[in-house]
Amino acid sequence: MKPDASTEKADCLTWSAKVEVWDIAVRLFHWSLVLLVATTAITGFLAAEWWLDYHVWAGYGIALLLMFRLAWGFVGSYYARFASFRFPFRVLLKHMREVVSGKGGQYLGHNPAGALMVFALIFVLLALVLSGLIGLGGQENQGMLAAFADYQSGVLALEIHDILSILLLGMIVAHLAGVVLESVLSKENLVRAMVTGRKKAEPGRLPHSFGKKRVVWRAPVVVALIGLIVGPAYWQLTNMPASGFVAMKNNPTWASECGDCHYAYHPSLLPRSSWDTVMSGLSDHFGEDASLDKDTQSEISAFLSKYSSEHWDSEAANELQKVDLKKPLEITASPYWKQRHEEIEPLVFKRKSIGSKGNCIACHTDAKSGHFADEKISIPE
Amino acid sequence: MKKQNIIFAALFASLVMPLSMAMAASSPILDEIKKQAGGVEFSAERGKTLFSQKFTGGKPDTPSCTSCHGKSPQNTGKTRAGKAIAPMAVSKSPERYTDAKKVAKWFRRNCRTVLGRECTPTEKGDFLTYMMSQ
Repeated sequence: MKPDASTEKADCLTWSAKVEVWDIAVRLFHWSLVLLVATTAITGFLAAEWWLDYHVWAGYGIALLLMFRLAWGFVGSYYARFASFRFPFRVLLKHMREVVSGKGGQYLGHNPAGALMVFALIFVLLALVLSGLIGLGGQENQGMLAAFADYQSGVLALEIHDILSILLLGMIVAHLAGVVLESVLSKENLVRAMVTGRKKAEPGRLPHSFGKKRVVWRAPVVVALIGLIVGPAYWQLTNMPASGFVAMKNNPTWASECGDCHYAYHPSLLPRSSWDTVMSGLSDHFGEDASLDKDTQSEISAFLSKYSSEHWDSEAANELQKVDLKKPLEITASPYWKQRHEEIEPLVFKRKSIGSKGNCIACHTDAKSGHFADEKISIPE
Repeated sequence: MKKQNIIFAALFASLVMPLSMAMAASSPILDEIKKQAGGVEFSAERGKTLFSQKFTGGKPDTPSCTSCHGKSPQNTGKTRAGKAIAPMAVSKSPERYTDAKKVAKWFRRNCRTVLGRECTPTEKGDFLTYMMSQ
């Protein structure tokens, strides 16, 4: 064993020897987090709706990493433990004054400002995961909380999610600035230290007993425990029926009669009053005679009323029931429909593969179920 | 496949095939319309004209059958809402014109939409004769 590789005994170090500070678990955690946060940022801020799946998977990944880091903060190696970087407020103030006067590098592990950032990042990321899950469950009727979150909570949660995501961007900038500043002040490349795990031990910042042996067996145990808890919980929760959806028995008459000329609009897409007007005016149905015999008409009418938007708590039902008052029968005239489709060029709707704005199912591949999930959108050429 | 099954299939085909061919030649739906029309001889030529002609009495978006069904009965059409319509020609859509209720429903709706009135039995007969010849 080389003398500078020994981390258990401080006294056999020569000054300026490199010692291991960030254990392998901390480093893997850090860089995986960087990758996943970047994925969520790109899919969340820049990508189109149908990238939602990737955003969500990266979010779940972040949740798992955070769970690991929280556990590691108690059972990990010395510098990974929260106890090793929980500084009193006055120490933080003292540190800030020293930084302003150009002094740095006294801390081998996190300095007080860096430590504060670690806690803040963990807190904000946890809040992002939670608000994302509530939003996903409430607005999209998907994910682990689909059975519990209602639409309005989902909308609110996503507003908070948006604000937190901007805050996180700011924090990342501050974190990077802090790393650069401390690197300059301590004359040590801290980015490289997070890769190699090693930092220079100098007079005044002696390495603490590191606990390398613990890392080797504790990390896999923590990972296995998280897997044992999260795996079944995920399976159990995602298999519960979404709260916004009712079990609708398909009506073959509705499916065939309405489906003859157009995508059979899901009953949840219009309020009862609109369906009643549609069904009583079939002899002039959007410029065509679509009259039905009496029995068929009343059967379809009853079906549509029974499952009209008032009975659902999905995104489509909640938003599309706010119809355009002058055109209460036109789903594509409602304010929400227009707002969500405003970025789509009119020529896209004219494509052979689409035909018209009313052909929902051309792009919303799950239109039959009434879900209209973001990731099920696929605009054909 | 067992030998018995092959014999059975051959027997079945020899019985059913001439029967179905005979049915195609004389459709009960067409016979009924013929009765209503008072025995007039239907003409595929007149049916073709009816199919491609432009009318002014109906709804403005659909002046002709071809507005949605396309210029040729052999081709797939498209509703105004963007959904594909199977070709009208019997050779392309053999299941067409076999359900009397369906035929009545679509003549009622589409004649009103395109012509602005119900079609006469002769018009219906010409139309069906044309589509069955296609």
